[in-house]
Amino acid sequence: MGIDNQDHLCGAPFLKDKTQGLYEPSPEFASLGRATEYSSKHNRAITDAIPCFQDWREAAHQIKRYAVANLDTLLTQFEANISARGATVLWAEDAAEANRHVLAIARQHNVHRVVKAKSMLTEEMELNRVLEEEGIRPVETDLGEYIVQLAGQRPIHIVTPALHMSAEDVGRLFAEKLGEPFSAEHAHLTATARRHLREEYLRAEMGVSGCNFAVASSGTLVQVENEGNAGLSTATPPIHVALIGIEKVIPRIDDLPVFLNLLGRSGTGQKLTTYTHLIHGPAPGRKLYVIFLDNGRSNVLADPAAWQALYCIRCGACLNVCPVYRRVGGWAYGWVYPGPIGAALTPHLVGLEQAGTLPFASSLCGACGEVCPVKIDLPHQLVHLRHRATSEPSPMNSRLERITWNLWAWAMGGPRRYGLAMWAVRWGVRLTRFLPWHPGKLGAWTRGRELPRVPGRSFRAWWRKRGGDGGTV
Amino acid sequence: MTSRDAILQRIRKGLANAAAAGSAGLAPPPVPEVWPRGASDPQVLAQRFADELAAVHGQTIRAGTMSEARQQLAELVASAGWTTLGALDRSLAREVTADLPAGRLAWVPPDAEPGRIAELPAGLLTAECLLADTGTCVIACPTAADRLMCYLPPACVVVARVEQLVEHLPAAWAELSKRCTDPRASGELVLVTGPSRTSDIEKVLILGVHGPMRLVVLLVG
Repeated sequence: MGIDNQDHLCGAPFLKDKTQGLYEPSPEFASLGRATEYSSKHNRAITDAIPCFQDWREAAHQIKRYAVANLDTLLTQFEANISARGATVLWAEDAAEANRHVLAIARQHNVHRVVKAKSMLTEEMELNRVLEEEGIRPVETDLGEYIVQLAGQRPIHIVTPALHMSAEDVGRLFAEKLGEPFSAEHAHLTATARRHLREEYLRAEMGVSGCNFAVASSGTLVQVENEGNAGLSTATPPIHVALIGIEKVIPRIDDLPVFLNLLGRSGTGQKLTTYTHLIHGPAPGRKLYVIFLDNGRSNVLADPAAWQALYCIRCGACLNVCPVYRRVGGWAYGWVYPGPIGAALTPHLVGLEQAGTLPFASSLCGACGEVCPVKIDLPHQLVHLRHRATSEPSPMNSRLERITWNLWAWAMGGPRRYGLAMWAVRWGVRLTRFLPWHPGKLGAWTRGRELPRVPGRSFRAWWRKRGGDGGTV
Repeated sequence: MTSRDAILQRIRKGLANAAAAGSAGLAPPPVPEVWPRGASDPQVLAQRFADELAAVHGQTIRAGTMSEARQQLAELVASAGWTTLGALDRSLAREVTADLPAGRLAWVPPDAEPGRIAELPAGLLTAECLLADTGTCVIACPTAADRLMCYLPPACVVVARVEQLVEHLPAAWAELSKRCTDPRASGELVLVTGPSRTSDIEKVLILGVHGPMRLVVLLVG
């Protein structure tokens, strides 16, 4: 079960050969399906009850659009404002540089233990692996992340990382890794994690967190959470390092309430999350480092049709409603961000050559676009990326596919060619039945489908015999 | 060229291309009206606050006067069996703890060690304001000790006056945003809505995963 942390998968592996999730769903994915269905129904009931919810979505969309259109100004404004309060701002072009910054800070302050609040950005960086290689012990403190880290897995969902594990699974894991007596009781398991993590907060020399919103006009770093682990990770150790994707910046402090209202309701069905931290700067005697990470985000700017991929506030609502995600889970998307937003964002961040298959990991049913609290038109984002994936270098831009479509275009060019092509297809399908194995894409197709039965004669032949005009069907 | 310059240059180049496509240089959108203003009667707001806080498993204790509040707090400390109540030195905290036996109260200095704060069975905090619609306490934490008092003790008591109740976040925003834009601000402003919670295992709600398991708001007036 699970994917090894060392794996550098990308693209949509389940579109190639790992099709187990699609055809033989395992029990863990059955519980994932139930949990996501529950979340989406619950959250939907809450958002539907608010008459102005659609106005909030539109407002948030416009604010994010403005933020992307003025990204350079807003980033430098945030930098100036938070630096004035004593924070140190660093910039990183890619994950490797961000990791170097974190390691340099850790060495400078002689850090051996790090507590981490949940941050998808640090998953992009594989920060835990990098820290471990340098002999620094990173501990994830969000309960779900802690479980996933102990199990040596990657998060399956961006809001609830251990959604695929049952209480029994967690009990067995705690027994094995922490030496605790087995229990499958939720309260007991939570108390066990609390006890172990308490020590970690108090012993760590550095806390690492992500950031939900970086407010340019005030230089405020905003984090939302329910457990209190982000508060503890950023307040207990003397050093706090906050990693911020450059798209997280919002222009004005007055824009914040609408985003807080949207994020809580769309993410977990709460009016407000339990803790909303508005961090001004370091407390006296403490250190705060802010690292801005690009990691492919600025590539999106030149293509305005794709800007919306940068509006995401990581609520996870699109995952919960997605029929594909529910069936295959988060790992199947091959990188950090799963679900519809993963399919729409990852190709921009890692390139179409690596992730060109992802936009095809969707049925384009449109449910994701309907629930997105910042109104990202996810289905059209995916269609846009599909278009690019078939015309730019990517696994979807294949010679076989081009030849197939060219043949199709030729065959549709006249009734004789069409007749000839249909004759070839009928015999092709009949003969395919007798092949001992089906190679490549044909095999992927026939694995989950029955070959159609070919009738004795074509419609055109039947029509001619009936006395119709065979040439103009 | 530094990474900062490289990133900013790449952004500007991308946006220049986008401008050619007619998508850059937008005017700032109007600030959205999140909720219209409604009730402002403190007693109505107090009831709504108590209901909303109860919905997220927090508890509200109402006290008509300060002397009643002192008595309520003393009873709470005794009934919960807290050997010590830690508190940060604020005027409202001084007032409300006046009746506590000396041994039961510990003043937490701004440079207190996290380990010492973690040993406290309960902490007393004062709120900047309360949000009725969500049952939220807004707490200013300029120092590390302020922040730790919110998260480390297993029980948390927040004291506030009824006059500090506002309807919702947007109604409090004029004041809160001023604090956020203050260049001398340090630490954080935290909005606390109920005790610490998780539903990371099978979506089952459990209170007190890392922070306080119990949150009591003592509302005076």
